[in-house]
Amino acid sequence: MHLLGIIVDQDIDGDVRGTITVTPHLLGADGNPRLAVVAMLIDALGGLRSITAADPDWAFTADMSVHLGASGPMHHLRADLHVRRRGRRTLVIEVELVADDERPAGRAILTFAVVPRPEHLAGLDVRTEPGRRPMGTTDEVLDTDWLTEVGATVTAPGTVVIDTRREVQNTVGALHGAMHAALVDEASVSLGRSLLGGPCAVTDLQLAYLDLARSSPLTATATAVGAPSIDDASLAVVVELHDADGRLCSYSTTRVHRVGADR
Amino acid sequence: MAAFTSPREIGVAQYLTLHIEEVGDGTDPLPRTRGEFPGSPVVLDADGRLETGMLTAVVDGIGGMTSGLSCLPDWIVTTNLALRRADDALVGQRGTGPLVVDVRVLRRGRSSVVTRGEVTSVAGDAVATFWLTCAVLTPEGGPPQFERPVGRLERVVPDDPIFRAPPAEFFGLEAGTRPGEVLLHPEPRLRNPWGILHGGATAVALDTTARGLVTGTSDPAAATGAVVTDLVVHYLSPGRVGPLVARATDAGPSPASPNGDRLVRVEVRDRGADDRAVALAMTTVRRRDR
Repeated sequence: MHLLGIIVDQDIDGDVRGTITVTPHLLGADGNPRLAVVAMLIDALGGLRSITAADPDWAFTADMSVHLGASGPMHHLRADLHVRRRGRRTLVIEVELVADDERPAGRAILTFAVVPRPEHLAGLDVRTEPGRRPMGTTDEVLDTDWLTEVGATVTAPGTVVIDTRREVQNTVGALHGAMHAALVDEASVSLGRSLLGGPCAVTDLQLAYLDLARSSPLTATATAVGAPSIDDASLAVVVELHDADGRLCSYSTTRVHRVGADR
Repeated sequence: MAAFTSPREIGVAQYLTLHIEEVGDGTDPLPRTRGEFPGSPVVLDADGRLETGMLTAVVDGIGGMTSGLSCLPDWIVTTNLALRRADDALVGQRGTGPLVVDVRVLRRGRSSVVTRGEVTSVAGDAVATFWLTCAVLTPEGGPPQFERPVGRLERVVPDDPIFRAPPAEFFGLEAGTRPGEVLLHPEPRLRNPWGILHGGATAVALDTTARGLVTGTSDPAAATGAVVTDLVVHYLSPGRVGPLVARATDAGPSPASPNGDRLVRVEVRDRGADDRAVALAMTTVRRRDR
């Protein structure tokens, strides 16, 4: 997360806005920020927003949907978060994505399960005061593409494997939620390349988290829903992520499109 | 709240005439069901295909019931649902006519259930895939009464001619003040046994609204020039009073087809309940003429 260099603005009501500088390492085959990158941005900001929204309780991400827009090349990507529901047991946050402060770049919706604050997180110190600040600090610079940095390996068309390590884990030692999305993205693109016959990108994602993904390696497996569109331009995909013990840890659907196949 | 009487008497389910049967002996903690949707001509479009809102109503019905079976003696309420149509079943003959829906519960937690499903044609062609999340609750009046395994649940269609009307009429839709705005009047037939608007009715309204925005029509029955290829809907609070107002806004082009597909956001509010937000949805809408 730190490698994205998120700059966060938080206001007195707890509302959150975050911005990243878009470098070539973050782009997909269509020139837009990859879904994996956008998922990391919104998951990080959503987690931050959930702290004050759920207080004094805690919130875990339950599911995430992302629709990317065709915003064209951009220097900066901004995410504005809005709490749409704070119930007794669920929290719903909507995310508006904006390219270069002027063009719509997509939308996302996150659901959180609200639970009593776990004991092991009682002392967790996260900055939530109003103001502008970097989200995490690191001396490292992202000098390769995001999926390579994550360490995801395509072993067959539609199959992606990752060995967990500290950098891709969350606070409880399981695979970080945004890493699920990264594997889903890569597995979908890999399947798309194979079935659509060219470079591909994921346009949207519907992801449900089912279980903590702890035992390594983890495998994301993408399968097609039906056949590609008649012009081989797009494909609906289901992606299941299993841990080394065979537990289903997340379940997703995506749509993949072949770059340059505009109708 | 009214006591739950019989799942056979839910108006939306009677209209859809979805026949549901449990798969297995009824002891699996993660139940599976299969539904058969006969596809009566009045609910299908000119090609013989179900619009996405109607398809969502179908899968919400069987998905909710299957989720509920995993929670007995508690029951559930759908909190959000994600549906995606197969690309090759959006045009032509594939994906038309009667449908089969296979559903299974993926996770039964203390307070929520996640369930997946696949929709196919009777020929076995993939039509759509979906998952939904439900919150576990203890309904006043108790849960619906089921014998496990649930035998084939046949719906009895009432004599009232409204049950043979086209979807826009059955679901009480009315044109709003502009394309991309639709009103829904929550008649008793559109409510669940607890008096709350059925989630499927909300889905039909938001699908119609999204298509209306893209095709430039405010007539709920006339937005036939586009199809919603995927949607995610979050149910934020119960629709109780009405009219419910669904408003769509354009969220820009989709990268899949910048000249053809639009991202459309839809918000549904209950005007009679202080304009309370009832549902929030994101969709991708594809014009049929592209």
